[in-house]
Amino acid sequence: MKRVGVFVCHCGTNIASVVDVKKVAEAARNMPDVVYATDYQYMCSDPGQELIRRAIKEQRLDRVVVASCSPRLHEPTFRKTCESAGVNPYLFEMANIREQCAWVHAKDKEGATLKAIDLVRSAVAKARRNVSLTPGTIPITKRALVIGGGIAGMQAALDIADAGYKVVLLDREPTIGGNMVKLDKTFPTLDCSA
Amino acid sequence: MVAAAQHPNIELVTYAEVENVAGYVGNFEVTIRKKARSVDPVKCTGCGTCWEKCPTKVESEFDLGLGKRKAIYLPFPQAVPAVPVIDREHCRQFTRGKCGVCQKVCPAKAIDYEQQDEVVTEKFGAIVVATGYDLFKWEEVYGEYGYGKYPDVITGMHFERLNNASGPTGGRIVRPSDGKEPKTVVFIKCVGSRDEAKGKSYCSRACCMYTAKHAHQVLEKIPDARAIVFYMDIRTPGKAYEEFLQRTVHEGAVYVRGRVSRVFQEGDKLIVRGEDTLLGRQVEVAADMVVLATAMVPSAGWDDVAKMLGLQTDKDGFFQEAHPKLRPVETFTAGVFLAGACQGPKDIPDTVSQASAAAVKVCQLFTKDEMATDPMIAAVDESICAGCAMCEKICPYKAISMKTITERVAGRQVNRQVATVNGGLCQGCGACSVACPSSAMNLRGFTNEQILAEVDAVCL
Repeated sequence: MKRVGVFVCHCGTNIASVVDVKKVAEAARNMPDVVYATDYQYMCSDPGQELIRRAIKEQRLDRVVVASCSPRLHEPTFRKTCESAGVNPYLFEMANIREQCAWVHAKDKEGATLKAIDLVRSAVAKARRNVSLTPGTIPITKRALVIGGGIAGMQAALDIADAGYKVVLLDREPTIGGNMVKLDKTFPTLDCSA
Repeated sequence: MVAAAQHPNIELVTYAEVENVAGYVGNFEVTIRKKARSVDPVKCTGCGTCWEKCPTKVESEFDLGLGKRKAIYLPFPQAVPAVPVIDREHCRQFTRGKCGVCQKVCPAKAIDYEQQDEVVTEKFGAIVVATGYDLFKWEEVYGEYGYGKYPDVITGMHFERLNNASGPTGGRIVRPSDGKEPKTVVFIKCVGSRDEAKGKSYCSRACCMYTAKHAHQVLEKIPDARAIVFYMDIRTPGKAYEEFLQRTVHEGAVYVRGRVSRVFQEGDKLIVRGEDTLLGRQVEVAADMVVLATAMVPSAGWDDVAKMLGLQTDKDGFFQEAHPKLRPVETFTAGVFLAGACQGPKDIPDTVSQASAAAVKVCQLFTKDEMATDPMIAAVDESICAGCAMCEKICPYKAISMKTITERVAGRQVNRQVATVNGGLCQGCGACSVACPSSAMNLRGFTNEQILAEVDAVCL
């Protein structure tokens, strides 16, 4: 048996003014393997994350679903929250009920609520099948190649070199300097370019 | 420039091109062709005897044809490294098989006609792309400015060379046609920029300011000169930029709002005909020189660089950053960063800031000995992989290859081919998983089973 927790975010009024978040949480309680569901003003805030951590401990959750914004925004946030409470970050799943629901269905509150429930059900179904994943590691060669020896390449090479790393500064011309070195004085200070 | 050359951590590799890039973040293998200079850089002292004595004169690319150089040459006096190169297309030793003057006069015995291109493969952890810009080829499309047939219609870059103390005229602003000092100089902005019909839709961002600088230089260097600037809009959104423009205007530069419809020669004057849209009437100026502020375009060869590094480009060929606001120096290829005008037209202050940002990204990567990779990448179920290699062909990151495995089937050893995924190269796009006819390829975290469960939850 999996133990899934569902956390529905209001995003202030971004979601809650369109989607009936209480109803979504209530519906989530009846989904398979869901042992806990609640809603909160801002899930990404410190108290919101603390709420998730506490629920993981108290309800012995092993899967977490947050229904909120796009995963592009806060998936990394909630993965870290799970990890800090001892749940593998890849057991976390996100349902986007803001960009893909509340914002696009602002005129149809009932429909939006039904869709939000569907999105959560879908995320729960996936979460139940999620498995722990561990990142691999790859070694890093601490040597940089800068292609192009104009002002951009020279500046980048100097900064990397000053940090203590080896740099190869490559240019197809016989000299570095690029377009910049053809210039006379440069605006707005009129200092020399070479 | 000198700082870069003297830095103990920087190795300069000039007169060289990248031929191939393999590998992945932290572990790139780059093949570099070091073109034959025909001069041994270790022996050469940069004394200059060779190019003084060289009998062949060629138009200088560095001075955009405004001056001459020799067949063995340094592009400009402060060149770094100060090691000349033989232009084999023009050198008599190579074209006619006899001359040898430079070899005879070189006191360091550094000239080597036999030198070959050297191709090396080296390992790098990160790559900064800073390939810069070229100028829009206005001669090909702007017939109204004479298609380049009037020698005194020049670009801003030509003007820079005329103005430069180490340039072909020693810093004197003169007409390329007769060497006379121009008294009336007309500047035309947005040549190729903001012109969808003939050029590019974008603003090149540096031209308003360098034209203001050029007008200032005309007024400063030439007594009783007139500087007239034709513009569409004046854009000076940088620190101290508007003040710089106002200074030029106060010095006497005349700004005329409107496009120039025609430039033509009459006697030794260039007649510039245009419109002053603020006065609502035609204007005509008899100019001695016309300077065009031409658009910035990506440096030639940008398409090869994009292909080698797997970079995306915008419609004009500028390299695409990973996010226009939040990841401006990163690309979609991990470990490859952008700096300068190769990402979009920009001026020197912006270029320097962006280059430092790219450097920080590289340093961020280098502070760790090992890098964590995203575990949500493709994985092969070898037991059902048929070895058809469809995935290998479709993978846009060259992350999949085939390997041979040995199995015991009915008591016999059998060898067969299966796919294998390079975790450093795989970006988790899922193309292989879609292409796999036997469902042996799955994306971790997005397996077929997981995705179907999501769909079923909504549909059933």
